[in-house]
Amino acid sequence: MMFAAETSDSSRAITLLLFVSMIAVTLVITVRASRQTKSAADFHSGGRGFTGLQNGFAIGSDYMSAASFLGIAGMIALFGYDGFLYSIGFLVAWLVALLLVAELLRNSGRFTMADVLSYRMRQRPVRTAAAVSTLTVSVFYLLAQMVGAGALIALLLGIAPGETYLGMDADTAKIAGIVVVGILMIVYVTFGGMKDTTWVQIIKAGMLMGGAFLLTVMVLGVYGFDLGALMNDAAGASGAGQSFLEPGLRFGTEVPGDALQTLWNKLDMISLGLALVLGTAGLPHILIRFYTVPDSKTARKSVNWGIGLIGTFYLMTLVLGFGAAALVGKEAITAQDAAGNTAAPQLAEAAGEHFGGSGLAAVMLAIIAAVAFAAILSTVAGLTIASSSSLAHDFYNSVLRGGRATEQDEVRVARMSAFGVGAVAIVLAIFAQSLNVAFLVALAFAIAASANLPTLLLSLFWKRFNTQGAVAGIYGGLISAVGLVIFSPVVSGSEKALVTGADFSWFPLANPGLVSIPLGLLCAVVGTLLSDERDPRRFAELQVRALTGAGAEPAGDH
Amino acid sequence: MPTDHPPHSRSPEEERAERTVAMHTDARFLELKRRLLVFVFPMSVAFFAWYLLYVLMSAYARDLMSTVLFGTVNVALVFGVLQFVSTFGIAVLYSRYAGRRLDALADSLREELHGREPAAHAGRTAPQDSERSA
Repeated sequence: MMFAAETSDSSRAITLLLFVSMIAVTLVITVRASRQTKSAADFHSGGRGFTGLQNGFAIGSDYMSAASFLGIAGMIALFGYDGFLYSIGFLVAWLVALLLVAELLRNSGRFTMADVLSYRMRQRPVRTAAAVSTLTVSVFYLLAQMVGAGALIALLLGIAPGETYLGMDADTAKIAGIVVVGILMIVYVTFGGMKDTTWVQIIKAGMLMGGAFLLTVMVLGVYGFDLGALMNDAAGASGAGQSFLEPGLRFGTEVPGDALQTLWNKLDMISLGLALVLGTAGLPHILIRFYTVPDSKTARKSVNWGIGLIGTFYLMTLVLGFGAAALVGKEAITAQDAAGNTAAPQLAEAAGEHFGGSGLAAVMLAIIAAVAFAAILSTVAGLTIASSSSLAHDFYNSVLRGGRATEQDEVRVARMSAFGVGAVAIVLAIFAQSLNVAFLVALAFAIAASANLPTLLLSLFWKRFNTQGAVAGIYGGLISAVGLVIFSPVVSGSEKALVTGADFSWFPLANPGLVSIPLGLLCAVVGTLLSDERDPRRFAELQVRALTGAGAEPAGDH
Repeated sequence: MPTDHPPHSRSPEEERAERTVAMHTDARFLELKRRLLVFVFPMSVAFFAWYLLYVLMSAYARDLMSTVLFGTVNVALVFGVLQFVSTFGIAVLYSRYAGRRLDALADSLREELHGREPAAHAGRTAPQDSERSA
């Protein structure tokens, strides 16, 4: 009622206008990029000619998804300090990528994560496993973004239950949102490949940082740039008082009189913390970003830019979350969306109202809505590229064709895969609308941390590591992460569970990382030791290439 | 493994692989590897322990985390912001270390390995290395 019913037609018109012009600009880029996308290196890696700054923006863009922007701002608005835990885990995670993965991957791989994993292994089993885990991680992440997109568009167009706009009720608008996002993502990726996707991401990162900065300054302006006053006001308005500024409202909550549940809650929090910090460097759509630059030094620079952008953004998110708690209020936020996902756009409206009345409120809402829409588009495009590259390069070329497919064939299959992945994602997202967005993202991180990161690090640093170890590590981590979630309170046996009427939840934690990450590592080590295969020559070659950059793929000619 | 370079006759490739494998036990490569590992492994352990301490204290040391230092600022907020500071700091430290201790050595070993490569390939990689400090 607060936000939706007051959403005026003028605000909707501005929002739609911004959406449409943004889409038009990105489609022009797509057409231009499609003319330059010919070789496999163009499609998968954007020609490898991006600068550190450009790729840093694209990294930030891949990472600062709508789930980050809307989800974290909303979580801080509703639960205060605990939302900050997500920001910190997501940021610190980049040190794993910077110190252990980015440069070595750039030097020794070509297009996908599996290039490095399979370097000294038997190709087929390892690439198949890597393609399966790439697809699983990307699809969960993709669903999170698209489900979010549907809900967001319905909310941003301000369609209240029972109301219609342009002939759509809220449910139709959600499906329309999912379909529009899905089609755009297919168009970007199929025609423009990585080059176009990267440019869309660079633009979006600029919009996101600009929008967040504007809103942050406005919120601080309301309080005369006194952060303490803002925090006091937020704590007061939250109804939780000082504990709003302390850990414990959302994660690791203490249940009086139930020591066991308290223990599980705290372990669950640690489990989430582990998945956040170890997942990033195993996310396929993040890893393939390191291939879009000419060399490992530029990969390092781009991670540094990414860390700077992402860190600054999360610090602004803290102000936005507190601002939403203080200026919009918990009741108005939860009335609009129980998970708090619309806190940021609601805050934009409130801040605009404060400074310039309803006119500015409409403009601010439209700007932040467009930024959020761009955030979704660019992240889903990155995920689709990661999936289609892995399907074409790892599965089609290496597994089915034994590495003998021509570049044209591989690019053609990658385009078809992008279309297929996009179509599947649209259908799945329509059916998955009731799933919790934050849960899907956390699951994607947990799988990446359990299946991908241990095998990636072992293949770069452990001489004895072999095919059986890599395959056992990937499947072991993947199956344990997904399996534990199936038997967790998320799926059955709790009030908010997906399955009602049955209880098969014997695993007490919602986040599997605490168990599945060590299990993935253990599978990799045991699998290795149970096999006699060893190839010290290929290991020597891999390490020399990874550390020196000898024989690394050069940048494209254009 | 799909070939990484345009198909030549097999012998130059085998020869390149031979030289690359030989480089793995070269004293200069061992030095490069040592310099990389002595920085990244201890630093990874350090930031991971520091982060884990933050998560564990958020879970189990809530009284301490709630202690107000001044105004509305409590230990939890300072600890959280320090995680940002340490992340930025380590990124800067690593980049300076890599520029000072790793890049030149890696460049010279790469040049050497590329030295007897086909001219076309050497020509394509040369421009990227122009900013290399001697």
